[in-house]
Amino acid sequence: MPPFAAFLLKRLGRALLTMWFAITVTFLLLRLLPGDPAVAVASTNMDASMRHELLKQYGLTQPLFTQYVKYLGQLLHGNLGQSFTQSQPVTDVLMSRLPWTLLLTGSALILTVLVGVPLGVIAATHAGRTVDRLVQTSGVIGQSLFVPSVGIFLLFVLGLQLKLLPIGGAYDENAYGLGWYASVLQHLVLPCVSLVLVSLGSYVLTMRATLIESLGEEYCLLAMSKGLSDRRVIWKHALRNALLPTTTLLGLQLGFMVGGAVLTETIFAYPGVGRAIYEAVTQLDYPVLQGAFVLLAGTVVVVNMITDLAYGLLDARVRTA
Amino acid sequence: MTATAEITSVTAESFVEAPTAAAQTWDAFRRNPLGLIPLAILALLGVIAVFAPLIASYPGGYGADVLQAPSGQHWFGTDNLGRDILSEVVWGTRVSMLVAVCSSALAIALGVLLGVLGAYFRRIDNVIGTVVDLCLSLPVLPLTILVAALAGPSLQTIILIIAFFSWPEVARVVRSQALAVVNLPYVDAARVIGGRHTWILRKHVLPAVAPVIVVSIVLTASRAVLSEAGLAFLGLGDPNSWSWGRILYEAQQSGAMSSAWWTTLFPSLAILLLVVSATLIAIAYNDARNPKSRQR
Repeated sequence: MPPFAAFLLKRLGRALLTMWFAITVTFLLLRLLPGDPAVAVASTNMDASMRHELLKQYGLTQPLFTQYVKYLGQLLHGNLGQSFTQSQPVTDVLMSRLPWTLLLTGSALILTVLVGVPLGVIAATHAGRTVDRLVQTSGVIGQSLFVPSVGIFLLFVLGLQLKLLPIGGAYDENAYGLGWYASVLQHLVLPCVSLVLVSLGSYVLTMRATLIESLGEEYCLLAMSKGLSDRRVIWKHALRNALLPTTTLLGLQLGFMVGGAVLTETIFAYPGVGRAIYEAVTQLDYPVLQGAFVLLAGTVVVVNMITDLAYGLLDARVRTA
Repeated sequence: MTATAEITSVTAESFVEAPTAAAQTWDAFRRNPLGLIPLAILALLGVIAVFAPLIASYPGGYGADVLQAPSGQHWFGTDNLGRDILSEVVWGTRVSMLVAVCSSALAIALGVLLGVLGAYFRRIDNVIGTVVDLCLSLPVLPLTILVAALAGPSLQTIILIIAFFSWPEVARVVRSQALAVVNLPYVDAARVIGGRHTWILRKHVLPAVAPVIVVSIVLTASRAVLSEAGLAFLGLGDPNSWSWGRILYEAQQSGAMSSAWWTTLFPSLAILLLVVSATLIAIAYNDARNPKSRQR
């Protein structure tokens, strides 16, 4: 088998394993934790036969393993169950929300890289000087920020006091055509910037550290002694190799960012999956919570797999490792 | 002649007073203000947490002064029900610190145990490593929310949930450090002289990973504060006790956050202060432990 095909299969296998793990964990949590779904579906002070009928309808009277197999089968058909409160399939509830979350986390991720790489380069090339200290200090503070605090601060200052940007929702209901897209962009700014501020710190710090390490390695010394310009050595030689560990970090951060999206979407009433989670929490709508987790986990796994595959294409060492 | 005397005196001195590694680390740490000041801040927060009842009365009853800006009477202002925000922050310190200490202790115990066992007994390493990888590649907050919603809000459940979802990170860090240690000759030597596994692990492997554990404790605790605040902000905190996250939650729920900046600023600053302090302590400790950076 060609090495890339083997790498592809291995990576695909890991993604499937992760998804299976996520699904099984949620299934077991739902069935074994005190917040019994039977209680949520059917109140205990209901008439006994009626309760049994209702439980049977939801398939909650069967043995655990049968329920598990059935659950897996349903998931394979994209069926995440029925929402308790909205009397429509969980898939319908969440799928209309997913694009907004993807837009929010995707743009935040891209912006983190676009701002983080230059900042990391500046800090690494000026190691020990004032600029570097400044970047490092902001990095440490950025790492320690609490998502809602940042969101509320931005909302208060930029949205309410200066009235520069809209503070809630994802678009203007009265806008059409190009204006609609512009309103989407405007509504995206505050939640997206909140997420970027929170995730930028650790990205820049890692970028800086790996870049300093690369710059000290022999191939960089060689490039410098060949008389290449500093800019070429940094951007073409050192940065390329420093990108690998930071991209791995970015993959890990994606899970964190999805969590941050739940909090920012709550603050800015952004109609994504995170906001759906918040609404489901207040109504104890377990199927939606479970479905949202499976959906978000799936998104994280798929994006991680794509970045890994892209890296496998670019860097031969990843394929063989 | 004088040179020899000097050398002898130097060796004698260093022989007599050979400081332990821990003492050297502390010595370097003590001289770094970026380590000492955060340590003092954490200690102060600890004192506030322990003596909260002496510092401020419990923010329970409703007051007449609703949404007052900070003043001499209410340093941090009052919330929408007229409760003193300083009292809320003081009592919130208690819950936030309690959650941090307890959940990080549990997570560290589990993470260190599995990390060290995985590195030492290679046969179970695959299983532990895979589980850790799987846990780390999932979005933790949505999963925590699901569990917290199912289990019902109480301080105890929140501590357990946060601990349960923090140990993989600890295990990953400890395992990679322990992997480097178990292959060193002195561990082989300990095995050759017939040492039992428990003795080798306790006396030779654990001390070698101890520095990593110290850093993990600090970072896990600060992350636990953020997780607790996140859950509380979504309304999944213990409704019977004040935490910094709950102050933000109530400010958001009541709409006070859009008019009264003080309802959200002070709890936010408290969270930031604690987490930044913890991070700085971890950095200063790592610097102090490393002989290379110690020289500077």
